[in-house]
Amino acid sequence: MPHSDRTSADGTSLEALLTQVAMGSRHAFESLYQQTANKLFGVCLRVLTERAEAEDALQEVFATVWKKAGQFDAARGTAGTWLAMIARNKAIDRLRERPDPGRLAPIETAAEVADSDPSPQQQALAGDARRRLEACLQRLDARRRALIRAAFFDGSTYEQLATRTGSPLGSIKSWIRRGLIQLRACLEQ
Amino acid sequence: MSTSDPRPDEDGLEPPGDDLLAGEYVLGVLDAAQRRDVRRRLESDPEFARRVTDWEWLLGPLTVGIEPAAVPAHVWPRIRARLGWGSAETQSGEQSGWWQSVGLWRWAAGVAAALAVAAIALDLTSHPVSRPLPPVARIVTVLAHDDGSPGWLATIDTSRGTLQTMPVPSAPDTQGRVPELWLIPPGRAPLPLGLLSTGRSLLITVPVALRSDLTTDAVLAVSLEPPGGAPNGVPTGPIIAKGMIRL
Repeated sequence: MPHSDRTSADGTSLEALLTQVAMGSRHAFESLYQQTANKLFGVCLRVLTERAEAEDALQEVFATVWKKAGQFDAARGTAGTWLAMIARNKAIDRLRERPDPGRLAPIETAAEVADSDPSPQQQALAGDARRRLEACLQRLDARRRALIRAAFFDGSTYEQLATRTGSPLGSIKSWIRRGLIQLRACLEQ
Repeated sequence: MSTSDPRPDEDGLEPPGDDLLAGEYVLGVLDAAQRRDVRRRLESDPEFARRVTDWEWLLGPLTVGIEPAAVPAHVWPRIRARLGWGSAETQSGEQSGWWQSVGLWRWAAGVAAALAVAAIALDLTSHPVSRPLPPVARIVTVLAHDDGSPGWLATIDTSRGTLQTMPVPSAPDTQGRVPELWLIPPGRAPLPLGLLSTGRSLLITVPVALRSDLTTDAVLAVSLEPPGGAPNGVPTGPIIAKGMIRL
């Protein structure tokens, strides 16, 4: 009998697959790969921009998932978010190994970064967590919001953000730190 | 806890505390050397690792806005090779049959139950009651059906305030009701801990206010409730499994 799950309607299969992966199922691991590889490749590509590097990062991502599936904590969020954060972390580690950081677009801190705004469908899929985070981001001033987005989506360091905005490093650090604190305070309300 | 800050700020700002450092790491603004320092620290400092995890869950929903991209077909065989699984030919069909079988699940659950009972027996025989708890306490409670057969295993981690529940797979309720877990402190009314699965392991985070009630002689019980759980926080259906916590 296939085991059924009645506790959540959303993301059930990925979470169940992770549980099986944690118990050593290669079959579940392959299913997980089929269902998530494109999304996670998108995450790697967003940070690294070069396909060959994103492919290498993706291999590291799945090697990590095989080892660490048991650490996923369904009480805290969705499997999709957990996997995407592993992908982003691996991609940023790889980005930092590059001798040349590559070209990065200037940031107009007054403007929004258009391609990182989720579509209405994506927002609907992500449900409450994404909506709450977005609402709290909207409460930051435009400059802090733009910096936090640029850091998150491009993986830029403080130094790179200073260059991209033409602002002093110290100001960038304090804007981002205050932004992070404010963001969390808002989410904890 | 931060005895030495690994990265003094060169621009007159206060060095960030552990919490902000964890946030900066997750956001992705640290440079290569700083990230290496953080990774080393994650290995040895669970409190700091917990802060990083908190930030990951906080910022993680931003990833929803990232577009998927088609992965080339050669990536999967490379991942298999990297994991030492050999060539793609040997994989087809592999464990798909036996893994999904009820027999395996029952066997695995049976073994887990036997191990749990063995662990409890060991615990009783080798430790006097007054022995202090180890720093990370993992106590297994068997939630048994009326006939004595195990329904769920609950592993309590008092340091994290979590309960890992593992079902012995069983058929879903014919009336469509779902299992809900309750904590019943001695002499008090049941407190809801959340829905369980009849098919898979679930990690339940016990609300902070209830953690002090996770004590010896408290009972963990499972009742059958309407989909979504008991509407008023009070069990409405039959108790189908229970077990007493022995810390």
